[in-house]
Amino acid sequence: MTAIQTNEREKLIASANTLRWEIGENIHDSIIETIYTEAAKIANKAVRVKEQKKKYSYDQAIDRIVTSKWLGFPIMFFLLAVVFWVTIEGANVPSGLIASLLVDTLHPILKNFIASVGIPNWINGVMIDGAYLAMAWVISVMLPPMAIFFPLFTLLEDFGYLPRVAFNMDNLYRKVGAHGKQALTMTMGFGCNAAGIIATRIIDSPRERIIAIITNNFSLCNGRWPTQILIATIFIGGAVPAYFAGLVSAAAVVGIALLGIIFSLVVSWGLSKTILKGEASAFSLELPPYRPPRILRTLYTSLIDRTIFVLWRAVVFAIPAGIVIWLVANITIGETSIAEHFTNWTDPFALIVGLNGVIFLAYIIAIPANEIVVPTVLMLTVLVAGIAGVGSGSGVMFELDSVADTSAILHAGGWTVLTGINLMLFSLLHNPCSTTIYTIYKETKSVKWTVISTILPVIMGFAVCFFVAQVWRLIAGS
Amino acid sequence: MIDPLFALLIAFAFSGILAVLFWPAKGIYATYKKAKRNTSRVLIEDALKHLYDYEERTVKPTLRSIAGHLSVSSDDTIQLVEKLQSMGLVESNEDGIQLTPKGRSYALRIIRIHRLWERYLADETSVKESEWHLEAEEKEHNISTEEAETLAAQMGNPVFDPHGDPIPTKEGEIPKRKGMPLTILKNGEFGRIIHIEDEPHAIYIQLIAQGLYPGMQVKIINAEKNRIRFEVNGEECVLAPLFAANVNVTPIQKQDEITSDFKSLSSLRKGEKAVVVGISKACRGPQRRRLMDLGVVPGTLVIAELESIGRDPVAYNIKGATIAIRKKNADQIYIKEFSQEKLN
Repeated sequence: MTAIQTNEREKLIASANTLRWEIGENIHDSIIETIYTEAAKIANKAVRVKEQKKKYSYDQAIDRIVTSKWLGFPIMFFLLAVVFWVTIEGANVPSGLIASLLVDTLHPILKNFIASVGIPNWINGVMIDGAYLAMAWVISVMLPPMAIFFPLFTLLEDFGYLPRVAFNMDNLYRKVGAHGKQALTMTMGFGCNAAGIIATRIIDSPRERIIAIITNNFSLCNGRWPTQILIATIFIGGAVPAYFAGLVSAAAVVGIALLGIIFSLVVSWGLSKTILKGEASAFSLELPPYRPPRILRTLYTSLIDRTIFVLWRAVVFAIPAGIVIWLVANITIGETSIAEHFTNWTDPFALIVGLNGVIFLAYIIAIPANEIVVPTVLMLTVLVAGIAGVGSGSGVMFELDSVADTSAILHAGGWTVLTGINLMLFSLLHNPCSTTIYTIYKETKSVKWTVISTILPVIMGFAVCFFVAQVWRLIAGS
Repeated sequence: MIDPLFALLIAFAFSGILAVLFWPAKGIYATYKKAKRNTSRVLIEDALKHLYDYEERTVKPTLRSIAGHLSVSSDDTIQLVEKLQSMGLVESNEDGIQLTPKGRSYALRIIRIHRLWERYLADETSVKESEWHLEAEEKEHNISTEEAETLAAQMGNPVFDPHGDPIPTKEGEIPKRKGMPLTILKNGEFGRIIHIEDEPHAIYIQLIAQGLYPGMQVKIINAEKNRIRFEVNGEECVLAPLFAANVNVTPIQKQDEITSDFKSLSSLRKGEKAVVVGISKACRGPQRRRLMDLGVVPGTLVIAELESIGRDPVAYNIKGATIAIRKKNADQIYIKEFSQEKLN
């Protein structure tokens, strides 16, 4: 570009700028208004609208029922309860099948095969007992619930019901400074937090989206339900008369899930009053017309986009974690393993907050998936308490079919009712699994929000467990 | 095992200490940050802005006005002015203290950053309007020229701040202030608000509490010595002349429709229809763009369709789609009664 041209350009830009002062602020509005007016003119000329009143009134009839004052909430709770019940009940059988194939059958075969070709034992341990077993475990416990939950949820979405839930719930979420659609991402989080966080893309306002991402972890995900149910059965059910046990332990689990919802609302409120006060905010919610769900497409998208996607991320993280789990149980410094060193070292602090060193270690090394926390806890308890005759060696995660046997191991590991209650609380309030943390980073592209979403629940978990432990001890007097 | 009572005491003490340290706006950390603010750079820049402001209003600045504006002692002010002189930013002679061209360009650069930042807060964040000016007062000293240019480019080089003040260009050009105080308009005259002075802060808060924004049309109903009654967006407003003087307007020709009585969209009951007249200037940034993208533009027919529990949000039929809008936003959308005229 020659000097003269540059000069011309500068002049042009300068006069354009002066003109912009003359035009004033309303130029953008006028442009949009003109576009709409022009578009409407063209549409009036070219488009003929057929009478479609009928279909429309059918939509309105459904809307009137599902958003009504008295029926709106009951319908919502009923539908969601059905989805969860189908998920939990329906996943048991396929989970068992996959576990018996990958864990009970394939695991010994692989182990024997590797041993027979003369590969050293420790490599066998790291690769098969560690990496393979962690992966197998994650697949067997994660795949079936997700493959059931996600399609069901997507069907509700596709039908057009979920936006009505957001519409019903918005009043509540507005009061805590959040977006009504957070009700949806929170519900999605009950299936899987990572998927819930991806689902926050439907929230178009940046501030409300970050709130939804940070608080998603307070939805008790599929991976944590089994832990809650097991621990509630052993410690809460075990503490009351037998004919109450089932009811009380079920109530305890539901109570924990409700507590999670309360925490998500309270934390949303706190965030919107403090660190997220100034972020941009916008609200509008489209209620699309109802339409028959496209079953095949729904199955495809929910299985590929959600289930396989999340499972893949979990598997990628489970393999190195499996290796770490095996190593900490098998590498010894002096006479004791790293795992025992760690649990002995953290026990004093862990006991103050009503947990124990084994739980701490399990939550650190089982970070890839909440599903492998219980197997890791059992393996570590057997290792640390020196219980003989259960499990299949140090570093090998296991689960027992019998609740009574599990209970016996945990009691032998020094667990009390308080340990049980606090584990349930800590399972609700701790850092998200590594898949979720990675997803948060991918979605926010911000280290700051990732760190906050990771650390905040842990701090809350410690604080809540601490206070529960002290109050418990004051009341129990021990 | 530690005694639980003792443990609880320790924990309460610990959270107490944390609260004292980090309590928002009042904690030790926040106080320390506030105290650190008055560095010499901040004083220099604030003094230059003050001098520029007086120059623009053709008032003569004095040592006392500077001291008052910066809330520093008169000894410190003398030192400051000497410093400014040695830096070649001001000169003082028998006419008083004046900006040098270098000083003026420095002042304009700070004003540019200040107004850009206000624009940013207004459009891209949900910081309250009463806090824009105060936050920009802090921020203007902490942003480099390059950062300011990046910000300006991101926002599409805005030319006005949210109060209606022109933003100086990168080269330091700025148009002469136009318009006149609202107090000059006579009974029955129309004007458009072009600027609302954001200082003093107490008056500004009163003005925005009345719902006044640049771009609004006003019609004087009755201007008396100690109060001015005027109509703005269909509502009647009363201001003392002291307050009204902080509102700048340009006179406009009599308009036919604008100041008839408008209702807001939130007043529409289930099943009722209305036609959009416009969106309040108070609704800006992403929310305004979103509403306009959805078709909330003058002339659009809206029908209230569904009410959520507590009537917030309400779902409206807009151009064939059902859109739920919260009451706070529906308050900012003006409507008029639906008549069988030709619609878009």
